[in-house]
Amino acid sequence: MGHLYTTREKYAPEQLDEIKRKYTPPELVCCAGSREIIDREVVFVGIGISDLAGAVAKLVHTPNVILVAEAGYIGFPSVAVLISPADNSAGAMAMCHQSLPEMFLDQQSGFVDVAYLGFAQMDKYGNVNVSYITGQQVKMNGSGGGGDTASSAGRVVYTVEFNPRQWVKKVDYITEPGFLDGSRDARKKANLVGGGPSAVATNRGVFRFDAETHELYLAEVFPWQDEEDIEEVRKSFPWDLKVAEELKIMEPPTERELWALRLMDSTSNYILASVMDRPIGKIILAGKLNLEGYDEYLGMQEKAIREILEFVS
Amino acid sequence: MKMAVKGLRTINYEERAKDADYKKRLNKVMTEKEAVETFLHDGDSFCLGGFVMWRQPESVMREIARQGKKHLSIVDESGTFEGIDLLVELGMLDRIDIAYAITRQVGGISGTPALERGLKEGLPRPVEAGGVLATPKDKVKSDVPPLKIVDWTNFQVALRFVAGAFNVPFMPCRSSIGSDIPKYNKEIKEINDPYENKPLILIPAYKPDVAFISVQRADRRGNGQIWGFKGTDYWKARAAKHVVLLTEELVPTEKIYENPGLTVIPAYCTDAVVHLPFNCHPTGCFGCYTVDSINFIALLLPRQSRDGALKWLDEWVFGCKNHFEYCDKLGWEKLDRLAKSEHKLSRIPD
Repeated sequence: MGHLYTTREKYAPEQLDEIKRKYTPPELVCCAGSREIIDREVVFVGIGISDLAGAVAKLVHTPNVILVAEAGYIGFPSVAVLISPADNSAGAMAMCHQSLPEMFLDQQSGFVDVAYLGFAQMDKYGNVNVSYITGQQVKMNGSGGGGDTASSAGRVVYTVEFNPRQWVKKVDYITEPGFLDGSRDARKKANLVGGGPSAVATNRGVFRFDAETHELYLAEVFPWQDEEDIEEVRKSFPWDLKVAEELKIMEPPTERELWALRLMDSTSNYILASVMDRPIGKIILAGKLNLEGYDEYLGMQEKAIREILEFVS
Repeated sequence: MKMAVKGLRTINYEERAKDADYKKRLNKVMTEKEAVETFLHDGDSFCLGGFVMWRQPESVMREIARQGKKHLSIVDESGTFEGIDLLVELGMLDRIDIAYAITRQVGGISGTPALERGLKEGLPRPVEAGGVLATPKDKVKSDVPPLKIVDWTNFQVALRFVAGAFNVPFMPCRSSIGSDIPKYNKEIKEINDPYENKPLILIPAYKPDVAFISVQRADRRGNGQIWGFKGTDYWKARAAKHVVLLTEELVPTEKIYENPGLTVIPAYCTDAVVHLPFNCHPTGCFGCYTVDSINFIALLLPRQSRDGALKWLDEWVFGCKNHFEYCDKLGWEKLDRLAKSEHKLSRIPD
């Protein structure tokens, strides 16, 4: 993947700001995340932004990966057109339909090399909370398959939009085990199958975990991230975040990656955070709850799926 | 006469003869109303087939609401919480065992408005979530016992049904060791396994009173054929005491023989067959109709407030006598459009 790295000198400093503004945060997250896969791997995708990253990887970088989704679909190009691991677009283009416990049994047997997940809170050692924010009395989605996947997938790539509040000294609730207390063989002692988190891809750089100490560090940044920006990133952490001695500079999202992203998320379920900004929200706000609205929205979905089908066949 | 098999379930033969009545019938077709009346009683536990947004028998949730059942409990992996939330709004559920509920999935709009209200305001009843959060004491006005939420992972919930179907008391697994799920959920036991002396997690079996499972095709005797992902459905069908199939298409048994590989729920599991097209709406049914995303968001909007939710319930649940009136109200042309969209992509093999 050498071609996805660059040097800052490639860009004129006055250009950088302009380049940066070309991309939205979710685009940066997905594209950075999509570069974490090795071809022919078996890749578990959840829902949300994480499966877009898987889809981009499959379409652009590593065509021979096998994507799997927990509902029981294996070997499809993407599930991102809609919003669930059980979506029809995955099922219609899958090479295997099976059951949910079988998916997780396969994972526990070590067939899944890498998984994409998201998170709300993470600590220094990659332990993740997606269950409760106790201070605010908020119940979040909960584990879903995340707890199983973080336990058993070969490695886990977290894809998430950077938010200073997500980094905490101690998570309110460990939903997904990372390196637990950070000790050398904590996961082995716990008898967990998988290798734990390997990367956190965000719009403000890619973070990795030290092989010895299992501590999170900043490993890669985008070309426009200067020292000031990196310092700001570091200040978001409640601990002294380490930065790689040889910080890598990532290429910004390529045309091809963005094409794949738009193909997979043509109804903007992920790129636009608020539902009412999305095409579906606009249809609802316009009061088109009649056949006309259905024609418009389903037509969009059908067109997107047709394009994917044309591309993969 | 009762006979106990050591360590396994106690078999009560009189009870079984009574139950077997339904399972042994040659024609198990009944209406949704009859099926819910017959098999689901106050205090019962139940589960739904399918997975997030797909093949979930949502019409059953509306029927349960209409019949005003009380003290129910539900176990689900990652269900479309919309239907469960409806029962939460009515205070019908005592306990929810769940791995994933879409709380903010639709961006800014709560996917679980009733549950959130319960947690914040104690209405219609207080909520106790995962041993971590609870409705503040000053908001708890009545002596209604709280709705309990118990956290699991998807695999663990699935294994509860697998253990139930195996008719063994638990299944072991290696998920979430070291996390807080087994710490707060006391029903999960952590042991050192007797062979290798390494940590292992035990998941207790679960045998719901009723499993409502949507299938694409079934015959009168109760052979259910599923096309697409199977979720945990065939385990649920074997773990549950009673199984109600809701089928899009009712076919002669000859048709079942043509594609036996699709039959994942054999007739001996099934107690009732309800022929009910579009029973999954607003979720989708693979090969039959796609997810009604517009309706899904449009129905969550009024339900963000308690008043709005009660009004919505009056209109869409209590205002409709059965699922067909619901479809009439929604408009069959929209349902047909959803089917047309799905058929462009996939169709259960003929």
